[in-house]
Amino acid sequence: MKISLDLELKDVPGQLVKALEPVSRMGGNIISVVHLREELGKGRVPVHLLFEVRDSAMLDAIIAELERRDIWVSKVGEFKKKEKITLVLVGHIVDTDIRDTIDRINEIEGVLVADLKLAMPHPEKESSALIDIEVTRPEKAKEALQRLDSVAREKDLLVIRSLRS
Amino acid sequence: MDIQIIGFGVIGQGFVEVLLRKERFLKQRYGLDLKVVSISDITGTAVEGEGIDLRRALEVMRQTRGIINYPGARKMTGVEAIEAFEADAVLEVTPSNIQTGEPGLTHMLKAMGQGKHLVTSNKGPLALRFRALSDAAKKNGVEFGFEASVGGAMPIINLAKVNLAGDEILAIEGILNGTTNFVLSRMAKEESPLEIVLKEAREMGIAEADPSYDIEGIDTAAKLVILANALMGIDATYRDVKTQGIRKVTPEAVKLAKEDGYAIKLIGEVRNSHLEVAPRLVPVDHPLNVDGILNVALLQTDVAGDITVVGKGAGAIETNSAILSDIISIALKRGLG
Ligand SMILES: NC(=O)c1ccc[n+]([C@@H]2O[C@H](COP(=O)([O-])OP(=O)(O)OC[C@H]3O[C@@H](n4cnc5c(N)ncnc54)[C@H](OP(=O)(O)O)[C@@H]3O)[C@@H](O)[C@H]2O)c1
Repeated sequence: MKISLDLELKDVPGQLVKALEPVSRMGGNIISVVHLREELGKGRVPVHLLFEVRDSAMLDAIIAELERRDIWVSKVGEFKKKEKITLVLVGHIVDTDIRDTIDRINEIEGVLVADLKLAMPHPEKESSALIDIEVTRPEKAKEALQRLDSVAREKDLLVIRSLRS
Repeated sequence: MDIQIIGFGVIGQGFVEVLLRKERFLKQRYGLDLKVVSISDITGTAVEGEGIDLRRALEVMRQTRGIINYPGARKMTGVEAIEAFEADAVLEVTPSNIQTGEPGLTHMLKAMGQGKHLVTSNKGPLALRFRALSDAAKKNGVEFGFEASVGGAMPIINLAKVNLAGDEILAIEGILNGTTNFVLSRMAKEESPLEIVLKEAREMGIAEADPSYDIEGIDTAAKLVILANALMGIDATYRDVKTQGIRKVTPEAVKLAKEDGYAIKLIGEVRNSHLEVAPRLVPVDHPLNVDGILNVALLQTDVAGDITVVGKGAGAIETNSAILSDIISIALKRGLG
């Protein structure tokens, strides 16, 4: 898992090494270090760390070791890459309740309709829409597409998916 | 090598033209003397044990549109010709029929049953009864060449079977129909509706009078079935393909896609034993984004990685490149002069 840590280090020399050393020694794989030179008050400076660990036990051990070394951990987060699914819908998109179509996709956790461009040549004619769906939980991508397929079948819309999705 | 031709339309006559053009080349390079001993179409059969006068046969078709008018031709069907005359191979090039596979299916099984090698561009029978046909070829100890049935001149069947013989084909995706590719390319360029572009394609002789087989994705589905069977060993038929054509694609959809860096293409895809034909968004810089009447296929393989081939998917002369290559390899393999 990819972990993002916000640390607060004492503003004295040697602190960065002191923070990084246990991460790699305990099996973490450091991806990036951003050292911000701004003061946080209390004589501390912020550092943003991105690294990979095997599991959460390894992460817990690293955090415990950092705290033992008087390095404050102000934020722990799992870093998730967003996956974007682009597709085109054709049909009576507006008349068949576009809000409902979007809501039924957004219902799925970790899935969000992030952008929609609509082209309506004529109110009576079929319209077309380009849709971007953001997926923060990759395992949900398939479910999102299946949901969209079933909504499209119900509303007689054509779904034009991207290659290999 | 003695050949019988069944079906004498665009492809059959194109074959004869290519033979005339390549006669010396075939002799010099392969020591091959290809002789057409009979030609059958719906009107009858021309037969000549010493070899049909090919120029004459073309001339007869130009003037009368029926091979029955060739000197000495008989009122005899293709099936009867296959039964009656000696030959090494049959070239089956009658119209594709995706409902019953006929008349091609009967011609093919009959030819193999008579111990004749079979070469064809007719995808109907293969899309419906691939397994039965390849079993019949094995049982009768004959060769079965169908390179021309998918992608016209674009080499794909023999490419995978010969050049990628040690690879497993994991997935296939491609544009396997030139008419729909032409239509979608034109819609993108001119921002005009499908019906208008289709009319233009008909006038240019690219689309048939009734283009529904192409537009509804049926032709692509048939070719996909052949690829799934021949290259991936999937025992699928035409009825197993989930097929969606391009009739509903609007110029606005094409434009929105284009503005976002995509082209809309009718793609046939085989993956995890699932066969599907549908319009898809293809990134403009993707190898499958080829325009006009071209066909393209991407083979995902376990050793070579991705292999892409592009070529003309139809045409009287171009398609005969594939037919000729099947015939030459049969002749070489079986030691036929
Ligand atoms: N054209 C291409 O670029 C292309 C490319 C790849 C594959 N193919 C495939 O190749 C095959 C031939 O295509 P084509 O364009 O040459 O078609 P075509 O011009 O319609 O020719 C078909 C020929 O078969 C004859 N025929 C029909 N029923 C017959 C029967 N029962 N017995 C004997 N002959 C019969 C037709 O005679 P009548 O005309 O008198 O009915 C005609 O001579 C088709 O299966 C097609 O799908 C074509």
